[in-house]
Amino acid sequence: MLELFAAALIALGTAFFIAGTVGLLRFPDIYCRLHALTKADGLGLALIALGVALLAGSAGEVFRIALVWFFVAVASATCGHLIARYARQSAGVGDD
Amino acid sequence: MSATTPLRLNASARVQSLTRPDGHGLPQTDAAQTVPAIRTPERPNRLRVVRRWLLSVLVLSAIWGVLTGWRADSLIFGIPAVLLGAAIPFLFPKPPHWRLSLRGALVFALWFAVQSVRGAVDVALRAFAPDMGLRPCFRACPLTLPPGAPRVMFVNTITLLPGTLSAEIMGDTLIVHMLDARADLDLALADLEARIRAFFALPQNPEHST
Repeated sequence: MLELFAAALIALGTAFFIAGTVGLLRFPDIYCRLHALTKADGLGLALIALGVALLAGSAGEVFRIALVWFFVAVASATCGHLIARYARQSAGVGDD
Repeated sequence: MSATTPLRLNASARVQSLTRPDGHGLPQTDAAQTVPAIRTPERPNRLRVVRRWLLSVLVLSAIWGVLTGWRADSLIFGIPAVLLGAAIPFLFPKPPHWRLSLRGALVFALWFAVQSVRGAVDVALRAFAPDMGLRPCFRACPLTLPPGAPRVMFVNTITLLPGTLSAEIMGDTLIVHMLDARADLDLALADLEARIRAFFALPQNPEHST
């Protein structure tokens, strides 16, 4: 039962990764694409991490999974901001 | 919070480093004040510096221990890595002091989980919809939170909220990119700011309280 629930979470997480990738391909500009990557992939990873944590054997493994999720979440928000800022600044230089 | 240091440097730390041309020569008169919000950095209290460093060492050691499964032979790399890691914050200007409200943090965590699901579902539905319903635009909003951790958290959380992305910080103004210009940005940001003020036990902004 637990394994089934974990598998469902992981499948759902994968679906969000696919949605993020589809958004990356379909959305018109770099900023909209960043929305797709930071949000959809972030939740995808959270769901997969939750599913894997349910299957984990020890508290240490759960902690490691939580650590992975936390650092990826902070890094993706920060990287999204940095990419957007770079895009704006380089566009500004080109326009002036 | 060390992972978000680049943002902090851009948002506020550069200003701080300008405001203390010679931090070492300052008298130690008001170094003992513990006002939580913005303080121009005084000469750091030695006890507090030691306490901060010990805390970093403790947290990093715990992380190292869990990552390596508490293996004794991993300490050959672990001890230097922990000591170096704990020294990294001293390379940067001292961030303003902040404290955390446990209740605010719990409420925030729950709310944040719900919002990030909403944001992800929103963007996923748009990705698969034939007409993506995009009406992207940029908006400028004033940053009224104190510099340092509250501001960094505000900027990073905006990116995970439905339909918004923090694109650039220009002084005290944040440029937000929106997927749909019809959404009510001011309301969402005022709500987020109130929640971050609760998280950091800051006084609520009377203008924005709902």
